[in-house]
Amino acid sequence: MYRAGRGLTTSAPPPFAPGDLGAFVQESAEAGELVVQPRMGMVGPEEMAGGVAAVAALPERTVATLTIDSYTRVGDHAAATAALRAGLPLNGFPLVSHGPKTTARVAAAAGRATPVQVRHGSADPMAIFRTMAAAGLAASEGGPVSYCLPYGRTPLAESVAAWRDSVQFLTEESRAHGRRAHLESFGGCLLGQLCPPSLLVAVSVLECLFFVANGATSVSLSYAQQTHPGQDTGALTALRLLADEFLPPSVDRHIVLYTYMGVYPRTVPGARLLLRRSAELAVRGGAQRLIVKTETEAHRIPTVAENLTALRIAADAARTAPRRGSHPGGRSAAEADAEETLAEARTLVTAVLALSDDLGVALLKAFDRGLLDVPFCLHPDNRGAVRSTVAPDGRLQWTDLGALPLLTTSRRTIPMTSRQLSGMLGRVAREHDQAAAANPPPEPAPRDAPASSDEPLRIAFVGMGPRGLSVLERLAARCAEGPPARPVEVFAVDPYEAGAGRIWRTDQSPWFLMNTPAQEITMFSGPADTGPHRPGAGPTLGEWWAQDDPAGAEPEGYAPRAVYGRYLTYVMRRIEETLPSSLTVHRVPARVICADRARPGGGQDGGAHRLRLDRGDVLTVDRVLLATGHPVNEPDEGQLAWNRFAREHSTPTRPVRHIAGGSANEMPLAAIPAGASVGILGMGLTFYDILTELTLGRGGSFAEGCDGLLYLPSGKEPRILAGSRGGVPLLTRGANQKGPDHRYRARLFTAERMAALRAEGAPLDFETSVLPWLLAEVNLVLLATRIRQVHGPEAAADFTERGAQALADRPDPLLLERLAAGYRVDSRPLGGIESLARPFGGRRFGSPAEYHKVLTEWLRADLFEARLGNVDGPLKAAADVLRDVRQTIRTVVDFGGLTPASHRWFLAEFGPVAAMVSTGPPQLRSEQFLALLAAGVLEPVGPGARFGADPVEGRFSVESTQVENSWVPLDFVVDARVPGTDLEADRDPLIRGLMADGEIRTFTNALDGGEEFATGGLDCTDSPFHPVRADGSVDTTTHVLGIPSEYTRWFTQVGSGRPGPWGSFTRDADDIAEALVGAAGTGRPVADRVVAGSAG
Amino acid sequence: MTPSARPQPLRSPEPSRRVLLTTGSSDAHTWNLVHLQLFLEEHGHSVLNLGPCVPEQLLVDTARMTSPDLVVLSSVNGHGHQDGLRAARALRADRKTRSVPMVIGGLLGISPEGAATRTAELLDAGYDEVYADGTPPTALLRRLADLGGACTGRAAA
Repeated sequence: MYRAGRGLTTSAPPPFAPGDLGAFVQESAEAGELVVQPRMGMVGPEEMAGGVAAVAALPERTVATLTIDSYTRVGDHAAATAALRAGLPLNGFPLVSHGPKTTARVAAAAGRATPVQVRHGSADPMAIFRTMAAAGLAASEGGPVSYCLPYGRTPLAESVAAWRDSVQFLTEESRAHGRRAHLESFGGCLLGQLCPPSLLVAVSVLECLFFVANGATSVSLSYAQQTHPGQDTGALTALRLLADEFLPPSVDRHIVLYTYMGVYPRTVPGARLLLRRSAELAVRGGAQRLIVKTETEAHRIPTVAENLTALRIAADAARTAPRRGSHPGGRSAAEADAEETLAEARTLVTAVLALSDDLGVALLKAFDRGLLDVPFCLHPDNRGAVRSTVAPDGRLQWTDLGALPLLTTSRRTIPMTSRQLSGMLGRVAREHDQAAAANPPPEPAPRDAPASSDEPLRIAFVGMGPRGLSVLERLAARCAEGPPARPVEVFAVDPYEAGAGRIWRTDQSPWFLMNTPAQEITMFSGPADTGPHRPGAGPTLGEWWAQDDPAGAEPEGYAPRAVYGRYLTYVMRRIEETLPSSLTVHRVPARVICADRARPGGGQDGGAHRLRLDRGDVLTVDRVLLATGHPVNEPDEGQLAWNRFAREHSTPTRPVRHIAGGSANEMPLAAIPAGASVGILGMGLTFYDILTELTLGRGGSFAEGCDGLLYLPSGKEPRILAGSRGGVPLLTRGANQKGPDHRYRARLFTAERMAALRAEGAPLDFETSVLPWLLAEVNLVLLATRIRQVHGPEAAADFTERGAQALADRPDPLLLERLAAGYRVDSRPLGGIESLARPFGGRRFGSPAEYHKVLTEWLRADLFEARLGNVDGPLKAAADVLRDVRQTIRTVVDFGGLTPASHRWFLAEFGPVAAMVSTGPPQLRSEQFLALLAAGVLEPVGPGARFGADPVEGRFSVESTQVENSWVPLDFVVDARVPGTDLEADRDPLIRGLMADGEIRTFTNALDGGEEFATGGLDCTDSPFHPVRADGSVDTTTHVLGIPSEYTRWFTQVGSGRPGPWGSFTRDADDIAEALVGAAGTGRPVADRVVAGSAG
Repeated sequence: MTPSARPQPLRSPEPSRRVLLTTGSSDAHTWNLVHLQLFLEEHGHSVLNLGPCVPEQLLVDTARMTSPDLVVLSSVNGHGHQDGLRAARALRADRKTRSVPMVIGGLLGISPEGAATRTAELLDAGYDEVYADGTPPTALLRRLADLGGACTGRAAA
């Protein structure tokens, strides 16, 4: 009966995709190495990717694991997603909620060679398998019996049906994409304890047969270490033989052993001893893969580091273990154990297979009749007629066979008492704790020396504007709360003044204003207290401004950008003046021109970053934060052509020039002579900066007239012709009636609803799935505000309540209109936000004068609305919703939440319109616009403005297609559009070098079907925002924040935090600070993982 | 739901009681239930063991049908507090099960912090007793012995 071990045949293997689990294990077995694998699941993609990368980076042969959380296990993806969005802890990686893109990125942290397996525990794994398959993952585990009976109440029939469909799906889907699905049966565990080996072996074989019947061609059979080494060795032998008997020869298979799954030893030496014994058992019994447990198993969820330790101990024990064939009880005892288990298991398998040709049906019948019956299992579909015990010699035995078809054994003993039961459940733990106390197991040979604790963690902040400053502020606050194990050294690299950076330089024109009221801006992560201003406690911009310049400050108003720059440098200074002892900060006034890595170990994340500075020296650091801010891009074809045209036609007396987009502060506006015709391309915030600089900046002034502001020219102004797509400037911001701490609570466009939407249907179509809810929210506020103006706050609250209920299932504007009509107010909702931003649509105007008249009326009406305020004015209150729910929009859109086509539409259509409506300038700017228009200094061209180069005139020109006689020749064209993020065109040598080296890549939103949208933004992971390399792996020693990651994330052009509860600006910064402090060693657990199943 | 684990009672207590043994709706652990069932049966009580992940409605329906002398909720996954509150509210909301005595025990939270608050909330929700983790199961025997009313155990078993 006891056959010679099966040789591992290698007959011209088909080429498997890199990371094929079956092929990887076979290769390792041929090399004589046991594959070791953790159970590891963390909620955040970053921690998960970090864990995966760390496992893959071990010198041992490892398989990386994504263990999912309990909510995802039971199919409650909405709960998992909600927990995720709310930042609540989960006990594993919510794979479905994160979706395939994030999952693929996390799995990519394993590199190409290390396989990644998804471990879950679900009785219905379809959603998990779908996400896996879409993420390019093909290895999982479980089974219709082993993931049903021990884990709850799902009827077995449902589990069998779900597993049949899911296995078929995964195998077919994988095959279609050139991958081979691998399925591991969890049948060798069941309840983890007190199940005699023959039933574990039988269920493992039956489940693998079930996988094969449903299309699998690569499987693994499991067995969990039990109570007796000899019996366990025999069981592994039996499992291998039975698999060879029943599985078709073409099916790839291996044996996987689980380190003990019951009550675990409480002491570290006891736990290590048990782990070492399991590795020895794996080698002795011929298992090719081992899933380990950690030494903290009995107490809490282990950290990544503890998992790595367990993997190293297991691999170490396996290397030194006696080979297969050796046996603790001698050869005859080994054969007896193997034969008994084999005979019983074969009888069970044969009996089940005889019940039906359909293995799923056979399994149901078998449990119904008690031919399979799991001892002590309380599942309603388990008969529960059998009993088992741990015999005095430590072997597991049946004490009551129930209806099992095992006729040969009869070892009825007295029934087990509760005291005996607890004794047996705790037996292995007790034995190992005692044995290890007397004779501690050896330490594994150390492979890498840990970093010395007084060696500082060196971090380069590349770019020290608001984003870099926000991370430094949180890093300092965290270090002050509790010093990390290693000191931290920060290098703030920026050629401009640290804190302010390029965009917020303190020497810029005083005419450039911010567009958020000063009191709504802060760079401190907490309000000032009675103590000194320091990280975590400091003044808002408004508070600081009032102290700094009591005469000139207007905290409720809009601060000049130079004032904000001074505030930022103040924050930087306060950070430096209050540094905790564990943190040092060096200012490095230089530019990084290239970066590379020292890679002593050959691993991608192994060595230090070497940053070459433009002043010549090299900065060597362990971590890098890329916060480089607004890009300077290479001119595109059109811009080059214009530059060429300008050069060709410019003369000293009549200069012709094209000024490319960027920060108004850096534009050579002084070169524009008085009286020249200047075309301004775009009418956004930069347009206002340019307009102000060319008027007020040239000595003009505004005076109060009887009908609004009057402009008194200085005579040095050029003639300003402005044109844009909509032909109107940004909508005026409503007078602020909300306190600095105001937080809007959405009723329809809620974070929960959007999270659920994304969980169900990502990637989404924004226009059809998301926008209707957003519009419903906008309209709810619009109509409620109108009702409040007429009938008071109670009626408005009543309407909001009823509206939210009526639209709970469907965002139908008609329902809202009908409801509002009952209040006798203007009940018409907005048909779309573009009606606000593009008021003229395709309307035609007979002359520029007519257009100017209509535009003036429109802007006056808009100013009227703005004066009503952002709480009392219906339109401005509604527009403010777009600003208030920006973060919720991000949660839908960021990291590939939309389909490529919809993402493109979102950026091209929705983004600009949302900006028009919700990011507008203060009232003063719109009043000045009107005064300049009336004074004839400013001449808006009209909707659909087209700029061009006129070779006949030798000048540029602009014309509106909708305004007759609007053609005007131009001496200057100034591009007032914000340059988009486009890494391919970025002129920063650092970005170029990183792109060329494949250390970063641009984010391409792609569907499997081939539809693609290459965004040009830096591809990065979710918090803490690591860049993704060209090969798809994740650089866990670098973080990226702000504008470079635009398009991967949405609306990153935010340069300030808000007072009150943290918004995403501060949260993102804190996430990175947390990761950096973690890298310096807090001793706090980095990782969470699922507490396995029911055992113990 | 499952048949009794059927060891013979070691001794017949006076009076013998009928216990409905249950756990939290999110708790998949069963060894604690198996152990308690054995223990109570050994001491002469009859036990109906609902098994893992018991939905509130199943608990209420079973309690309505069987009128147990005591409901015992044992939970070890750390969600016992939330799950237990829901179970108590469901039982207390039903006219027929409003006054069934009930107790809860095990690892009720994910950390020791807030244990006193949890206990107070659970008592407030209607539990007659909240057993801290590590309480020996003999405490249940005392509770069963202290129950008033007629003996129902043997008659129903």
